[in-house]
Amino acid sequence: GTDELEVEADGTIKLIAAHNQTSPDNPYQTGLLKFKEVVENESDGKIEVEVHAGTIGTEESQLVEKLQLGAADLVVVSPGLMTQTGIREVDILSAPYLFKSYDHWLRAIDGPVGEEMAEIINEKSNNSFKVLGYWTAGVRHFYGKKPLESIDDLKGVSLRTQTSGVISDFWQATGAIPSSISWGELYQGLQQDVVDSSENAYPFFVQQAHHTTPNGKYITETAHDFTTRLVLFNGEKFDNLPENYQEIILKAAEESVIAEREATNTQDVEYKEKAIEEGAVVNEIDREPFIEVAEPILDEFVKEIEAEELLQKIRDLE
Amino acid sequence: MGFLLLAIFLVLMIIGVPIAFVIGIVALIGIISIPYTPEATVPMSMVNGLDSFVLLAVPLFILAANLMNSGKISEKLIELALAIVGPIRGGLAHANVLVSMMFAGVSGAAQADTAGVGKILIPSMLKKGYDKETAVGITAASSTVGVVIPPSIPMIIFAGLTNASIGALFLGGIVPGILIGVGMMVFVYIVAIKRNYPRAERVEIKKFLKLLGESIPALFTPVIIIGGIISGFFTATEAAAVASIYTLIVCMFYYKTIKVKDLSGILMDTLALSSLSLFALAAASALGELMSYYQIGAMAQEFFDSNIGSKWLFILIIIGFFLFIGTFMDAIPAMILFVPVILPTALEFGIDPVHLGLIVVITLAIGLITPPYGLCLLLAAKIGNMSVERSFVAVIPYIAIILVILLFVAFFPQIAFYIPKLINPALF
Amino acid sequence: MKKFVNTLEKIQMTVGVLFLCIFVFVIVLQIITRHLGISVIWTEEVANYSFIWAIFMGAAVMINRREHFNFDFIVQKLTGAKKAGLSIFNDLVLIVFNFVIFLLGLQVVTEFWNYRWATLPEMKMGYVWIAIPIMALTMIVYSISHLIDHVRAVKAKEVIE
Ligand code: NA
Ligand code: NA
Repeated sequence: GTDELEVEADGTIKLIAAHNQTSPDNPYQTGLLKFKEVVENESDGKIEVEVHAGTIGTEESQLVEKLQLGAADLVVVSPGLMTQTGIREVDILSAPYLFKSYDHWLRAIDGPVGEEMAEIINEKSNNSFKVLGYWTAGVRHFYGKKPLESIDDLKGVSLRTQTSGVISDFWQATGAIPSSISWGELYQGLQQDVVDSSENAYPFFVQQAHHTTPNGKYITETAHDFTTRLVLFNGEKFDNLPENYQEIILKAAEESVIAEREATNTQDVEYKEKAIEEGAVVNEIDREPFIEVAEPILDEFVKEIEAEELLQKIRDLE
Repeated sequence: MGFLLLAIFLVLMIIGVPIAFVIGIVALIGIISIPYTPEATVPMSMVNGLDSFVLLAVPLFILAANLMNSGKISEKLIELALAIVGPIRGGLAHANVLVSMMFAGVSGAAQADTAGVGKILIPSMLKKGYDKETAVGITAASSTVGVVIPPSIPMIIFAGLTNASIGALFLGGIVPGILIGVGMMVFVYIVAIKRNYPRAERVEIKKFLKLLGESIPALFTPVIIIGGIISGFFTATEAAAVASIYTLIVCMFYYKTIKVKDLSGILMDTLALSSLSLFALAAASALGELMSYYQIGAMAQEFFDSNIGSKWLFILIIIGFFLFIGTFMDAIPAMILFVPVILPTALEFGIDPVHLGLIVVITLAIGLITPPYGLCLLLAAKIGNMSVERSFVAVIPYIAIILVILLFVAFFPQIAFYIPKLINPALF
Repeated sequence: MKKFVNTLEKIQMTVGVLFLCIFVFVIVLQIITRHLGISVIWTEEVANYSFIWAIFMGAAVMINRREHFNFDFIVQKLTGAKKAGLSIFNDLVLIVFNFVIFLLGLQVVTEFWNYRWATLPEMKMGYVWIAIPIMALTMIVYSISHLIDHVRAVKAKEVIE
């Protein structure tokens, strides 16, 4: 790979920053544009940042591969992706009902849990990945052809969900049938009754108009996942940068975190309103029964990925 | 650098390096020339380009078509088509068109139709005194309806690239596809009168019913495919697998025209044919990656924003562009490379993605019969033992017919959307 | 050489067809299990990776059969040594390109060997990536055998002249 610095003729450095979302008003884009703005300002243009919105990979796995290879310098990916690179502990962040509220998520991720996670990722990847910060892709809820009044309503309902193990285990335990259908074919699938329901955060499924389909009309705010997204930099490349550049990048990453989370939280509200305006029906539900189902699955899961202590730390922060 | 790459592209293409490799080589040289991108992204993007579920429809529909040819379903359909339109003057030519339309309902691939139908009808047309131009021209040209009438591989790929509704695209292809077929029949009728082409004998009603009965299991395939997709029983990609399995079962157990020992040959032919266009697609993905490092998409959008004020002019430019690209490139790599480039601008102009998809797919269908690289034209020319130049002259009137229908679809989308709206208004 | 090449082609075609059968089977399995309400999450991934293998093996075989589409009007216009010379040049272009792809492919394989499949963590991504160097290497073998044919053709012409 090309981990060494690419210094152009005029002494400037070029960084390639990429996420996988193609929509220009996606919060990821807001976050990366903020990163670009701060880096370019603070370095007086000595560091140039090229932002790619889905143009060098619409799959997160492609972005991670590019990062490791040196074809990208900064990428945004889900925690589940780290499992594919052989780092399993991080997958705990995709477990349902790990975090009970947004504040709980903040306390953990901006505190000791986030720090420990960053260390694990850096060590286990042999410094290929360095965590610059944690973003979010919003809160995931259930949406389907009928509203959920109780957890029993999930029995026999086919649900499009991520194919990662613990998530599928959880939904199976609720009685739902996790179904594999690609995101691109999902609108169709909901429209034409291939699946009964799905789950995601408002900005994502409302942009895809899933709430306008018969099988996506009823949104139940299960809040089963306060999502985390990792902002990763190529570790070796980072170490090769002069110290003042490193500081600039860290500072820019911090500001990008603030900007991205703010954009996501705003959009969460906006897209919920849009969904309701366009005829979707939203209801709330008592989350306790769901949490009870999730708890033993979580306990099992952390044994498997050897993250028992991490789970305890997260629970202690409730 | 852009011009140098273009020059390399042209030189390698002209001296006869296979086009898929020309694309790959240009991608490789381009990536080497960018200092901050490692060269290994080239093989990686080749793999990533193929790593998409919707692409599996390509070999699956080719498999279905190969099974139809090997299982003599094509012959059954030809007989049926002859029984229906044979008694019109120029009957064999009309049957050629009609059978392609039936074939189109099963297959998403047009080349298999040219090969299967052409092998039988071109010789018999020549024997009955049709001139070569008509025999080769109508065979090649009518095959293009294969990608317009659903199911259609290019439509599936387009939907995968843009999130446009597959169901809507498929339904939207029905009217233009039938219009193209009918248009060609009208033209052939005029030619037939002028040159006094023969009619086929009228088939007795009893024999006709028998033929129809025999063909029903084969004609049932489109019902299963389209019905299955619209009702949500399976996705478009899965439908391709269902079509293959269904055709296989019908041929093995109903018609008894395919035996187990034939299977390996059919599978090999399928892999051979599909790996050609899909390898080109893999190479095109690498080139697409290079284009995204150059941020061609943003440049195109900026260009259209500042230079093209009208939606209609933009549509005409798209048609012209894909007509040109289609002359030397398969529909699939052409879409992989350029649909992402034009999509943002199209959306900005308020063009419905389904409408855009129909325009692009029909335009690229013309590419199947334009030289130098028009697969259906090359195949038909080979079967008819006629030069590619003469064959091209022969298909020009048919290209004009497709173009007229294309412009209709482009500027009066309500025509194409009539059926989809009737069947499923929720799609729009 | 010819014998070896023919055997290689046969093996490679068989491997490709086997992968083709796997993904057809897996897709059917996916439809059936979904309607039975059984959740099988790995179908799409297995189908995709079998497909990649099938296509790459098929593409290599097509090199041996010279079926990849090219514009041959210049090659057709030329005759004798000039024709063979251009064919030799084109063979060399393919050999060089595939050699580079082979090396880069090996780099990708080593870099990402231990990555995991998303739905089957027991499976390594290396099993998928290795299709690239295998494809490139076999394409080199086929191209070299063509090259030898073309060189022989030149020599034969020289003898006659
Ligand atoms: Na079709
Ligand atoms: Na035809």
